[in-house]
Amino acid sequence: MNHILLLEDLPEIRAWLKSLVLQVFPNARITECSRVQDALLQVQTNRFELALCDLGLPDGSGTDVVAKLRDVQPEAQSVVVTIHDDDEHLFPALQAGAYGYILKEQSRELITEQLQRISQGEPPLSPSIARKVIKYFAAQARPQANAMPDVQLTERESEVLLRVAKGFTLPEIGVQLGLSRHTIADYVKQIYRKLNVSSRAEAALEAQRLGLFRR
Amino acid sequence: MAWLLALLGLLGLLAGGPAAAQAIALDRALMLVEQPGRPPAWERAPSVRLPDDWDAGASGVRLYRLPLPAPAGVPDTALYGLYIERACSVLQVRVNGVLVHDGGSFDEPVTRNCHRPQLVAVPGTLLQAQGNVLDLRVRGYVLGEVSSRQRAGGLSPVEFGPHALMAGHHARRLVYAIRLPEVLSGALLLMGGFMFVMGWFHREQSYLAYFGALMVGWSLLLARLWVAELPVANPVTELALAALMAFITLAAVQFLMRYAGRRQQGLNLALPAQCLLMPLTLLAAGPARLYPVAGVWYVLLAAQVVAAAAYYLAAAQRQGSRQLWPMAALLGTVGTALAVEITSQQLQLDARIGLVAQLVPALAFLVLGLRLVQQYGRAFQTAEQNRAELEVRIREATAQIERNFAQLAELKVEQVTDRERKRIAADLHDDLGAKLLTIVHTSDDPRISTLAREALEEMRLSVRGLTGKPVKLADALGDWRAEVVSRLNQSGVQGEWSAPSDEEVPQTLSARAFVQTTRILREAISNIIKHSGASQCSVRCTLADGDFQLVIQDNGRGIPTELDGRLDKGHGMASMKGRAKQLQGQCLVESGPGYGTVIRLTLPLERHTTRP
Repeated sequence: MNHILLLEDLPEIRAWLKSLVLQVFPNARITECSRVQDALLQVQTNRFELALCDLGLPDGSGTDVVAKLRDVQPEAQSVVVTIHDDDEHLFPALQAGAYGYILKEQSRELITEQLQRISQGEPPLSPSIARKVIKYFAAQARPQANAMPDVQLTERESEVLLRVAKGFTLPEIGVQLGLSRHTIADYVKQIYRKLNVSSRAEAALEAQRLGLFRR
Repeated sequence: MAWLLALLGLLGLLAGGPAAAQAIALDRALMLVEQPGRPPAWERAPSVRLPDDWDAGASGVRLYRLPLPAPAGVPDTALYGLYIERACSVLQVRVNGVLVHDGGSFDEPVTRNCHRPQLVAVPGTLLQAQGNVLDLRVRGYVLGEVSSRQRAGGLSPVEFGPHALMAGHHARRLVYAIRLPEVLSGALLLMGGFMFVMGWFHREQSYLAYFGALMVGWSLLLARLWVAELPVANPVTELALAALMAFITLAAVQFLMRYAGRRQQGLNLALPAQCLLMPLTLLAAGPARLYPVAGVWYVLLAAQVVAAAAYYLAAAQRQGSRQLWPMAALLGTVGTALAVEITSQQLQLDARIGLVAQLVPALAFLVLGLRLVQQYGRAFQTAEQNRAELEVRIREATAQIERNFAQLAELKVEQVTDRERKRIAADLHDDLGAKLLTIVHTSDDPRISTLAREALEEMRLSVRGLTGKPVKLADALGDWRAEVVSRLNQSGVQGEWSAPSDEEVPQTLSARAFVQTTRILREAISNIIKHSGASQCSVRCTLADGDFQLVIQDNGRGIPTELDGRLDKGHGMASMKGRAKQLQGQCLVESGPGYGTVIRLTLPLERHTTRP
């Protein structure tokens, strides 16, 4: 990791996060922002490998930064760092392209581990988020959304989601399906990617529809 | 209508009874005008043919002398009778100079017996074998001084025969000439008065009032047939009777116009004015010319009524009224009856026709009156029904409005509460959450850091309890499993989880029940990780008899008995129990040194869940 964006409005927490990130990625350069506007400017001008974004900020939501980064630097990874554990707050960020989320109040060790996992391509997935993803794709599968590009979930991905929703951990699911931990992690990554792509396509379609109406 | 015609036929039948075989009709008489203070000069008296009508000459007393034939077997003690159909206006009878009958007062006010048949009893002992003389003394008015030919002076033929036979003739005549008019007068007066009052109080049905007035007027008119004694002189009575026709015309015309649905200001003024004008013209003409002037007026009044009737019928036809034909028949009947009555007087037809004809209008009025009252009653009933229906509808509408209002108010309260909860939640996250988070990550003391983290988790759960929607029990089980299993694994405790499948748990959990149960479960797992030293832990969720049961069992040290109280506090046993109680459930802890701890949480599902 060369360049990491850190968006957090509370100075103490920002400092703490910075030290934590430096512990995981000792050679990384960290750009700190406390406002959405600053972060958006940074995303326009600098290249980042990783972005840690808080959601509730004084001048807006970190989701905007996640979406912008996804637009201009698709290869960069976004991770949401928040005290909101509910899917109402998390799901939009995941749709915008975040590859995972970390709850801020967890212990340093736990966060460090999660951060490492995410950067290695093992994003977390809670039952409630899994349920929301299932519902989202079920809605996409309806006939009126036929114009959507083909980003339907595979059978295996759906299976993984269903098991997560029932409260099974990813290693448990790996054992149940006879798959390696890596494969399961890949499925989760695919789920996140397809969620993002589908959401973007949906947004584009929506914009087109609005455009058509305005004409 | 049919029964009216039948009644008419019956009346005609009764009126025309067979003539008596033994009666002798006397229709020739010597006639003299009585000169006060001078004896009658019979030797110069002219012979007249009865009936003698006083079309000309002077009003006063006229004397008639008739020869009375001797009955067979004289002298005998039988009772004979004289039947005089009409002696207008008052009669005295002498047989062979003996006074046998006195009809009433010969001086003003003169008794009015024009319509009343007279029966005179003649004892056989008064009669001689030869040369019996019948003297009749009649007081009356010539035609010019009365308003109707009916009351012009005159004498009908005299019938003589056995008293019983004569009494029969008299009685039959009396019924038609006097009794029936009396009854009809009373009926008309009663019903007319009733309808007048009814119409008076319901101005939109003013035709009822006019019809009532018409009936009352007609009842007074009928009274002329049977009232004999009046306290006023003849000219006044005649004038009043003539003027009564103007009043009847007013009532009839107004009734017809109003019934046709027309109120005319002009008529409202003109008709009463006519009621005043008519007696004035009669007065101006003088009592001697009463009859011809009144006759002109009658024609005028009749024309008005006929015009009004025509107007009504035209209007009824235009409106397609269902009253058209009944009313046309009634008006036709009345008109015909009146025409028959007048012609029978003018043409001196059989008196019985006139008798029947003069009763018909009164009967027709009664029928129409009953019909109007019936219509009014029906309209009243309909109105009452409508009013009741309206009342019901108003009550329903009011209830609906109240319900809607209550719903709106409830909705509003819910909206406001929801918004307020969201605001509190956001505030908690932004302010309290940020500060607790800072404490978590900046405190050097791990105990404080842990406390702050727990406080943060508590806060989040509270917020969820405040703002959250109901959770499906199946989803809740998934969340709990993920949390329990991952926490136990991280702590190196072997976890085991069993729960019913999704299909078995269709229930929904309220946000509050979900949050409280999450807390209890979290607390229990924390205790196992921190204090029990257990290597294994099983969590079993079951549904039985509408209760949700959660059994958390470990193989750890258990809670030392002697330290129960302290441990309860320190390990949150008390708060777990309190939370279970809040949900109307219970939390039992079984523990003993050496064989671990079992926590049984039982919650009644009905109170916290709603079936989908």
